[in-house]
Amino acid sequence: MVRNAVLELVEERVRASTGSWERRSLGVVRAEDAAEFARAAGERAPHLVDPASADFVVHPMYVVSLLRGAPGAEASDFRPDGMYRDEVPGTDGLDVRLMAGGQDVRWVGEVRAGDLIELRRALTAVERKGVGEGFLLLTVEKVYGSARGTLVEVTERFIVR
Amino acid sequence: MTGLVRQVVVGQAVLPVELTPDAVTLLRFGAVTRNAHRIHYDTEFARSEGLAGPVVMAQLHGCLFHRAAVEFAGVGGRVREVGWQNRAPAYVGDRLVVTGTVQSVDVSSGAVTLDLVERCGAGGVVCCRGRAVVIPG
Repeated sequence: MVRNAVLELVEERVRASTGSWERRSLGVVRAEDAAEFARAAGERAPHLVDPASADFVVHPMYVVSLLRGAPGAEASDFRPDGMYRDEVPGTDGLDVRLMAGGQDVRWVGEVRAGDLIELRRALTAVERKGVGEGFLLLTVEKVYGSARGTLVEVTERFIVR
Repeated sequence: MTGLVRQVVVGQAVLPVELTPDAVTLLRFGAVTRNAHRIHYDTEFARSEGLAGPVVMAQLHGCLFHRAAVEFAGVGGRVREVGWQNRAPAYVGDRLVVTGTVQSVDVSSGAVTLDLVERCGAGGVVCCRGRAVVIPG
């Protein structure tokens, strides 16, 4: 299938699903995992990297950076490029190139160790950008919550080429 | 409103924060976020996608923007929002530096909006533009 036809198919798929909310559990936040995340991100502050620290907090970027919770995914859940088949709406089974376009993160509450996190997300916009075949810019709204209510809201953009 | 907010002025500099992620950094970050996208560790695959090599994850850029906002907010401050848009790929070994300035100050709420930019590599290419809203401590 030529590139433009593939992008048209993606566009058709995502327009059909625009506004539909889906849910996914990210599991329970573990302090040790959040600390490992902070270390991998280059943080050194004890309150982020040492779960035994009296003032330890979950790195605010941890949950919104998680693509999946434990125990991860089955092999059949991945695309050949290593991305999850359902991560970028409308692209499952198609030979497209995926790139992150950026995020807007708004913290409503504090994510704490022990929180069971549920992610709700919906594709809200699709735009054709660039010249020639160009690329698709998809916008996805995400809401991360726990039993204490909404904790973080994210607007995320994906580039599909 | 705290005393520090009254001292914040539009145009004030955000002190730079930096990170130079190597291949090990990307592997660790990808593992802990369960990100297996091959553009982050498979050089041949990344090149097949039109990239010069493995690229830094968007969320790792986000962490650097967040750190710049936290350091500006200071002790007792908090970060309400962080956003960034990817402009150009950043590659393994690139030195990433986030800088910025105060864009606006909302005197009534104490919120300070920061205009941020992340440059990468020796050429200082703009790889992300971002913003943050903080309540200084």
